[in-house]
Amino acid sequence: MKKIGFFLIPLVIFLVLVVFLFQGLFSDPRELDSQVKDKQVPAFSLPDLMRPDVTYTQDVFKGDVTILNVWGVWCVTCAVEMPYLTKLKEEQKVNFVGLYFDQDLDPDFGTKTLTRVQEEVTSMLSRYGNPYQYNIFDVYRDTSLDLGVTGAPEHFLIDSRGVVRMHHIGDINPRVWENKIGPLYDQLVAEQQTNVAGSR
Amino acid sequence: MRTWMFVLLALASVSVLAVEDNYGFNDPEQRVLFLKLTAELRCPMCQNQNIADSDAMIAHDMRRKVYTLLKQGKSEEEIVTYMKDRYGDFVYYKPPVTAATIWLWALPLVFIFVVLFLVMRRPSKAPLPDQGAKLKQAEAMLKQDKS
Repeated sequence: MKKIGFFLIPLVIFLVLVVFLFQGLFSDPRELDSQVKDKQVPAFSLPDLMRPDVTYTQDVFKGDVTILNVWGVWCVTCAVEMPYLTKLKEEQKVNFVGLYFDQDLDPDFGTKTLTRVQEEVTSMLSRYGNPYQYNIFDVYRDTSLDLGVTGAPEHFLIDSRGVVRMHHIGDINPRVWENKIGPLYDQLVAEQQTNVAGSR
Repeated sequence: MRTWMFVLLALASVSVLAVEDNYGFNDPEQRVLFLKLTAELRCPMCQNQNIADSDAMIAHDMRRKVYTLLKQGKSEEEIVTYMKDRYGDFVYYKPPVTAATIWLWALPLVFIFVVLFLVMRRPSKAPLPDQGAKLKQAEAMLKQDKS
């Protein structure tokens, strides 16, 4: 009896350790629990990037399923995903809204003027395609901070009641769209359409 | 000469400690708190760096936010909660005690108690029966050596 325990206990400890470490091989340390998921979009009041006199608030997301895309002209991956996003917009009528922020480290002492930023954005969008309905300009990057953005590109799938349903860090490519974002997007759009039909 | 070198080096280390020179504080206590918070808050982009060390844009933004919140008179706890509300428990280097993390503290204690238990339970070995005879033999040999 004693001898069996002598072998069995270390064996059990070893097996538990193996299972624990093995699953560690497949866990992604960059995947953080998003704090805004299943919550209303945090309150904001920000200008349109191209028409600074237009102001948006969190209520713009109510009524339509939206993918809020955090991006900037300085972001290489954003340029890579842009043609695919444009294709999604044209072929599947996916509703993209941009949350644009610039990279001046301190917005108060920024070196770029708004016109300069607008020029850069226009030239980039004409080169890679424009998937956006409009772009919200996060001047002080406060809204990005409220949303828990860590960099660019990032995407927030927002349902028609203005609730964040998914926070995707990284680009959207065909694989990500088909496996992760697309199914939920289609489901949310279907839900919204039955809601609209029901309320009529 | 040596003392001067020491003073110079000490001064140099002070400037290394300062995170950002453009964050001015009138209250030295707030400054200390700023340095403490930027050392304890973790950068979500460059993981395993605190926001004082990291040069990622998000770290810049978080430092700026910590600064503005401090200037608004927010307490240390309020600022930590503010960041946790946005980036989760991940963002703070001191993990909270939850059902999942309690094991970090519990496991070493459990280990100590299990080992103590095993050591205590172990029956003390009875002295060998022929030890007395062996001792006599050894003493005899010693005596032989001396003579």
